[in-house]
Amino acid sequence: MAYYGQPQPGYGAPPPGAPGMPPYGGAPGPYGAPAGPYGAPPGPPAGFAGPGQPFQPGYGQQPAVDPQVQQWFMSVDGDRSGRITADELQRALVNTNWTQFNQETCRLMIGMFDKDFSGTIDLYEFQALWHYIQQWRQTFDRFDTNKSGSIEGHELQQAYQTMGYNVSPQFVQTVVVKFDHYGRRTLTLDNFIQSCVMLKSLTDAFRQRDTAMTGSVRMGYEDFMTMAVLYKP
Amino acid sequence: MSYGYGQQQQGYGQPPAQPGVDQNWLSGIFQSVDKDKSGQISAAELQQALGNGTWTPFNPETVRLMIGMFDRDNSGTINFPEFMSLWKYVTDWQNCFRSYDRDNSGSIDKNELRTALTGFGYRLSEKFYDILIRKFDRQGRGTVAFDDFVQCAVVLQTLTSSFRAYDTDQDGWIQISYEQFLTLVFSLRS
Repeated sequence: MAYYGQPQPGYGAPPPGAPGMPPYGGAPGPYGAPAGPYGAPPGPPAGFAGPGQPFQPGYGQQPAVDPQVQQWFMSVDGDRSGRITADELQRALVNTNWTQFNQETCRLMIGMFDKDFSGTIDLYEFQALWHYIQQWRQTFDRFDTNKSGSIEGHELQQAYQTMGYNVSPQFVQTVVVKFDHYGRRTLTLDNFIQSCVMLKSLTDAFRQRDTAMTGSVRMGYEDFMTMAVLYKP
Repeated sequence: MSYGYGQQQQGYGQPPAQPGVDQNWLSGIFQSVDKDKSGQISAAELQQALGNGTWTPFNPETVRLMIGMFDRDNSGTINFPEFMSLWKYVTDWQNCFRSYDRDNSGSIDKNELRTALTGFGYRLSEKFYDILIRKFDRQGRGTVAFDDFVQCAVVLQTLTSSFRAYDTDQDGWIQISYEQFLTLVFSLRS
């Protein structure tokens, strides 16, 4: 019996955001979406998992840039360098409660869209990132069922489950406690994105090593350290 | 040592100690950091007070890490006795950092980082150091500033202790489940 359940393309690829952008990119297939031991596999339609097909610049050609995105880019690019840093991005992004996005989430997202590893993104990369964030915002709103502007524990559990991650309530509780700095036991958009991207990266990395699909892996010290440091919050 | 990870001398992630400082002097510092005169130092107050030598804001994760370590009454803030321990911790790290920053640049490069961590007892590959630099270099300069160095050292220490807890036979290998693994990495958030 497969521990993780059958892959249902689309699930567990919440940040499908960035296909072809390792290591975070939208690897196919879910994980931790155990059918067997954990009961029913997640059933919701594919369109329900995380942001759907993200915008992706075509290979070889530059996509047209939405004038509104261009305007956004100009206002975010504080020093007019033509490139946006994580700090500039942070100044531009706000959560529903008007707090700034946390720094790690900004660095994480810049890292996903920064193809040349410069630590900055250009206009085209920004457009992709912009769509990506919009999609997360929609996902966030969808799972914020009581429209409180933040995601509570049970909503997060539902979100993870829908994305194909079958994790225990204890684990969800850990995430809520760790990602909430205000003691409200809820997640703002930035923390929600960060936790989903982390969950996906870690699940992909773990799954890659779990060739026998037992849900348990034998891991050496440096491999363990590498994974943890690469995908840590 | 036959296993994969280093044997640390004293508590690793623990900077070498230095002699104590005058309490009255520290009390003055405490009061100047405690801007709202609440008798408690918040994360925001601490962040403003700490310098990393680069004129950029001190790494907020490092601030939270440190508050978490010294906030014994779990108030989320630091009182004066807690501040004294924290002060010592920070200055010990500063001295440690300076001793590895051989060119006094205010940040340490990969070679200096390797020397420091090897000195702490870690044995890690070249590839791993590349990853460390990439992850902990918040300025994008290919080097690690003081605040990021502290975060790096604390994270490595936390991870190594977690690994050891699973590595009951101390052979450098562990068996770990999906959710145990997830919990461990998610818990790194301070």
